[in-house]
Amino acid sequence: MLVAHNIKKTFSSDNKDIPVLNGISLNLKDGDFTSIVGRSGSGKTTLLNVLSTLVRPDRGELTYHGRNLTTAPESQLDQLRRSDFAVIFQFHHLLPYLTVLENTLLPFMSNLKPVGRKMEKKALECLDRVGIADKARRLPGNLSGGEQQRVAIARALVKSAKILFADEPTGSLDKATGETIMELLVGLNGEGLSIIMVTHETEYAALAGRTIEIEDGSLVQ
Amino acid sequence: MNLFTIPLKNMRRKPTKTGLLLLVFSVGVMSVVALYQVSLVVGLSLEQKLTAFGANIVVKPSTEKLSVSYGGFHMGDMLLDAKDLQEAETTAAIRSIALSDRISIVAPKLVTMVKTNEAAVALVGVRWEEELALKSYWAAADGTFPQRSGEILLGSLAARKLGIAAGDTLDLFAREYKVSGTLLETGSDDDSVILMGLGELQEMLGQPGAISFVEVAALCAGCPIEDIVAQVRNNLPKTSVIALQNVVNQRMSSIRFVQKLAVMISLVIMVTASAMVGLSMLSSVNERTKDIGILRSLGYGKSRVFMIFCLEAAFIGSLAGGIGYLAGYGASLKTLDLLTMTDGVVPIFSIVHLAICAAVFPLITILSTLYPAWRGASVEPSRALVSL
Repeated sequence: MLVAHNIKKTFSSDNKDIPVLNGISLNLKDGDFTSIVGRSGSGKTTLLNVLSTLVRPDRGELTYHGRNLTTAPESQLDQLRRSDFAVIFQFHHLLPYLTVLENTLLPFMSNLKPVGRKMEKKALECLDRVGIADKARRLPGNLSGGEQQRVAIARALVKSAKILFADEPTGSLDKATGETIMELLVGLNGEGLSIIMVTHETEYAALAGRTIEIEDGSLVQ
Repeated sequence: MNLFTIPLKNMRRKPTKTGLLLLVFSVGVMSVVALYQVSLVVGLSLEQKLTAFGANIVVKPSTEKLSVSYGGFHMGDMLLDAKDLQEAETTAAIRSIALSDRISIVAPKLVTMVKTNEAAVALVGVRWEEELALKSYWAAADGTFPQRSGEILLGSLAARKLGIAAGDTLDLFAREYKVSGTLLETGSDDDSVILMGLGELQEMLGQPGAISFVEVAALCAGCPIEDIVAQVRNNLPKTSVIALQNVVNQRMSSIRFVQKLAVMISLVIMVTASAMVGLSMLSSVNERTKDIGILRSLGYGKSRVFMIFCLEAAFIGSLAGGIGYLAGYGASLKTLDLLTMTDGVVPIFSIVHLAICAAVFPLITILSTLYPAWRGASVEPSRALVSL
């Protein structure tokens, strides 16, 4: 369970403080599919980044299964992102010089110890699961936007992530590809993967069990 | 697939950039290796040439000198227990020290006094081959150096004192000797003496094999003169072995100058090459902010990001170290060939040196990458994600 309490975040620009999150509190249960909607600049992505521990809040508390993540050392947050949390972005999800398979196994390549055959097999299974196992040896540059997004999802699957944070996962895709990706996400959620998705599209937001709307850094509902 | 895969594949992605960086650093290493090899060879060669300008060690019998006065009269210095050395035994002992390869010339001498033409002059017996090698600065003012038995050479002052010149004869120990030539003034003791073959003088004095002292020219580059002296002393315990420190220091200062110059130039080259690596890595960090963002979002800690940049630098350094050593060795051969001053000394190719280059230069590239790598590792995921 991921709980955010009174989260505040301010960014500085040209010596001016710009409040982005103004005391957001929310409770995300295991297995939930939550969509975060709102206009551009409302603070959706910042909230997602705070929840995924990529950005530390200025104030408030974030806990994951009772562990206070706000005060946790960076190494623990790194570890959490290596194991339980997975993040996918609208663009540039993959390192362009690594193959699809290597990008999928990237979370396990942070050590000098080589990734084992077993893990490679699992990565291929995950790629198969998202329908691109045949492109495992290709570089991301040879894949379509939808295929690249699938690789990012496969990367979340291979490490058995508990929560998938998706920032506009269909934002750069055509309608048909976007729908396929959404079907995939809904299917994975059905298998127990918690998903927190930022989106502009109300049609996709409606597929989530819960929708949170943000306006000027505060929750609307 | 492991952490090495990321920097290796990134280097392969940009072959031109990687190639140029490798080229720059390899040229740096090549220059350093070539300078080192050339300075080493030139140093040795220079020392061999300087050796021709005299000895730097003197071996003489161990004696005790007493200043004697009696009844108010000063009777001068008296040598106690003064015994001549034996030539064969002494020269063999000098030539057989552990550092014998550093012994260039061994020139034994027998000195006596003689009265001829109404004047007292010192007569010195020498081995012509060694003496001429040791004193290549000698030049005959007139005549030639002695070619055969029965010929002598006069110092300029001795010739004046005796009133004779090249082609004249001189009686020594009731035997007539031909003056083959006289020396141009040297400013040394050689100006005041008569020089003749050592064997003839030993025979004339009835002292076969006897010598008064030995002058030694030792090559001091690579080992201190004190070591050579200590080893000679060890082989000849009953003698006095003296290092002519001023001569040694003068020679070594010339060689050290060449070596210091090479070190200074090498430092400048390495600092420049390292700066190039550092700058390239810094631009690489800026270019790869997105990659850093992805890695950080996947749980790569700061230390891992830092390590990725350092590993990349280490690959460049290691490759450049190996390539640079081989190229530097080749360049030193070519340079020395062009300089025509090796005098038989050649650069040394060593697998150990090659391995050292491949191990040490990565450390230099890593050092020059520390700041860029730290910058990369310090990029906050949130800042990196802005570009995603």
